[in-house]
Amino acid sequence: MISDMIAIIKDYWLLLLIGQYPNGPLGGLANTLILSALSIALAFPVSILLALARLSKWPWLRWPVTAVVYITRGVPLLMLILWSYFLVPLWTGADVPSFAIMLTTLVVYQGAFLSEVVRAGIVSLGHGQMDAARALGHGYLGAMRYIILPQALFNMIPSILSTFVSTIKDTTLGYVINVPDLTFAASQVNNQLLTQPFQVFLILAMVYYAICWSLTYVANRLERRIARRRAGLSGLGATPLVTPAKIISEQL
Amino acid sequence: MTTSVPLPQELQTIRISEVSKSYGDYPVLKEISAEVAHGEVVVICGPSGSGKSTLIRTINRLEEINSGSITFDGQNIHAPMRTKALNLLRSRIGFVFQNFNLFPHLSVVENVSISPIRVKGIAADVAHQKALKLLDRVGLADKAQAYPGQLSGGQQQRVAIARALAMEPPVMLFDEPTSALDPEMVGEVLGVMKSLAAEGMTMLCVTHEMGFARDVADRIWFIDAGQILEMAPPEEFFKSPRHPRAQRFLADLRH
Repeated sequence: MISDMIAIIKDYWLLLLIGQYPNGPLGGLANTLILSALSIALAFPVSILLALARLSKWPWLRWPVTAVVYITRGVPLLMLILWSYFLVPLWTGADVPSFAIMLTTLVVYQGAFLSEVVRAGIVSLGHGQMDAARALGHGYLGAMRYIILPQALFNMIPSILSTFVSTIKDTTLGYVINVPDLTFAASQVNNQLLTQPFQVFLILAMVYYAICWSLTYVANRLERRIARRRAGLSGLGATPLVTPAKIISEQL
Repeated sequence: MTTSVPLPQELQTIRISEVSKSYGDYPVLKEISAEVAHGEVVVICGPSGSGKSTLIRTINRLEEINSGSITFDGQNIHAPMRTKALNLLRSRIGFVFQNFNLFPHLSVVENVSISPIRVKGIAADVAHQKALKLLDRVGLADKAQAYPGQLSGGQQQRVAIARALAMEPPVMLFDEPTSALDPEMVGEVLGVMKSLAAEGMTMLCVTHEMGFARDVADRIWFIDAGQILEMAPPEEFFKSPRHPRAQRFLADLRH
């Protein structure tokens, strides 16, 4: 079986890596990585804005955003994707590429989930930090930027990471609207071979696992480094003397 | 400002007039009026739940009030104003919390220098040098690179005082600064506060440290149930309190 898989990779590596490119659109692993990176890079700032809006003292900002977050979190991602795919061209009359549809939908969906994580991180800090910042003359946004968010986001690294990982995995759903990603390429390979679905999709699973695991690894190292610095142990070698008490909740 | 004797009316720095505040139906402050003069050290004492902390938090508007007014150098703190103006006002009133509230993600020297840098726009190296001087003043120059989590409670509170002083406020408010400390650390914090008072800083302290009140305060305000029942110099307050509630409070303290 391993020889089958090696043979598949040998024959189809280019298709799995970049799809039909340059004869067709960029696809395969390259497109999956681009879609994942863009989704995460956009969903993260969006989630901070949504969280700040949900914590706002102005009801005209708080309520609509709360509604959006609730609705987004309450429907399946696949349904949102199909909605955007069929309704956006219908409403706008524009021919929106499926990649853009997928990216936007993922950003909204994961942004909504992530905003709850960010909000929880901010709320769990308590009033003391904001009081101290305000008493020193910091404005609300300044206090958020320099005092509250650096702490809240750090405390939430495990949950933020979970959302990032699930964002990467959710890019596979682009398959249903023909986003030419890695899953799409693997399925093309499977259609040509017909007899080796297990091998093809095992390769697919291994690639996704490798991507998600790498991200988890990098994030955990980052977290440990920050924790060590804050414990004042930077420059004391690689082994942390104080292991941060943390529940590892990465979802792979 | 080398004197700690109360100055005439026109030199009042904080004037509280008929301030009331309630949480729902429960009144916390009932028409409180009082003044603090330049360079004066006022100790606010009273039983728990009497409204001391709420009163001191209204002075830099960490708490809103329902009626009355509080002026600081002639400016009404609770008037409707732009947040920029309020932030500027707040930066001129130092505040020290019971629980220190240091920023745990910043080193000690960053805790002290971040507000001059971000609020006042002072150059980072200048703010840094000044922070080191302030840390030296509270006896923590050697802890500049440490993080708050590595310090004892007393050290954290001294950093918190240095952090407040970094904004060069003419007035300092202390909200039970030693209540969260182990007994052996109370002295080091009170020592810093005493030296501040000796330099002529205007101070309002909510505290249960009656020794500090006796030695350092120019006046004591005794609060109970949201009202100031007695205002007197410490020798008078401790020797012959006039209000029966104050007499009982002092008698309870002696047990």
